[in-house]
Amino acid sequence: MSEPMASPEPPVPPRASTRTGPGRLLIAVYALFALSASARAGVQIATKFHHAPVAYLLSAFAAVVYILATVTLAVGSPTARRIAVVSCSVELVGVLAIGTWSLADPATFPDATVWSGYGSGYGFVPLVLPVFGLLWLRRWNRGTRQGAKDVVAETKEPVPPY
Amino acid sequence: MSSVNGAVPTTIIVAGLALAGYALLLTALNRRMSVPLLAALGVLEILLLVLVGLIVARLASGEHPASLATLIGYLIAMPLVPVAAGFWGLLERSRWGPAVIAVAGLVAAVLMVRLHQIWPVIHV
Repeated sequence: MSEPMASPEPPVPPRASTRTGPGRLLIAVYALFALSASARAGVQIATKFHHAPVAYLLSAFAAVVYILATVTLAVGSPTARRIAVVSCSVELVGVLAIGTWSLADPATFPDATVWSGYGSGYGFVPLVLPVFGLLWLRRWNRGTRQGAKDVVAETKEPVPPY
Repeated sequence: MSSVNGAVPTTIIVAGLALAGYALLLTALNRRMSVPLLAALGVLEILLLVLVGLIVARLASGEHPASLATLIGYLIAMPLVPVAAGFWGLLERSRWGPAVIAVAGLVAAVLMVRLHQIWPVIHV
């Protein structure tokens, strides 16, 4: 009702962002992992921390990384995208490192983390998720100052029909 | 008693996978969110709420699994999955809206397997 009528921009559909298009799906999966990893870590640390302290602390760390990636992908500002790149990178390194560690030294992991066995307990989604996250962010971080549509125009990529 | 065993969880697995297949088909066909898809999501939500009711009834009868906290977490989170996916998918004006719904369908199916692991009396 009291919306500024003299808005310089004409009414446009919601602007493209890291949270639209394929990003919508990506954030949904990230949110799912953020929720399940934090709930799992919370229960483990609260009820049986001494059973597998390393595994549970790593679960908690993974949870924080997933939350950070979910939020920054959803916000989508240049700063948020930079943090998202770091989160996804940490996540990729984490799943590869913890995956290898859990296979090489099973004694340290009497109970599984999200990243044990490269995320095999979660259908390897933890392994592919950061890869898709980084690919999606890379598309946005080329020519960040111009915004998404210009990025697509500049790189002459076919505009996906989403 | 046999209601927790079998019928409802199995129906949820079938419904969840069918919903995921339908939603992915819509994504492949470049369709947006539609009323039939939301209706199917609503059916999944009702099934999940029925299961929550059955499990709560069973808990009320005195039995409970070793990890009761985890089960309660699932009982709270489970009915929120289709609701959250519905809202998030409706915000999207492209083929990726149905893709979000597909995730909810797959998650519902996976949750049934997890529930069985948490409390084996919940059979599939």
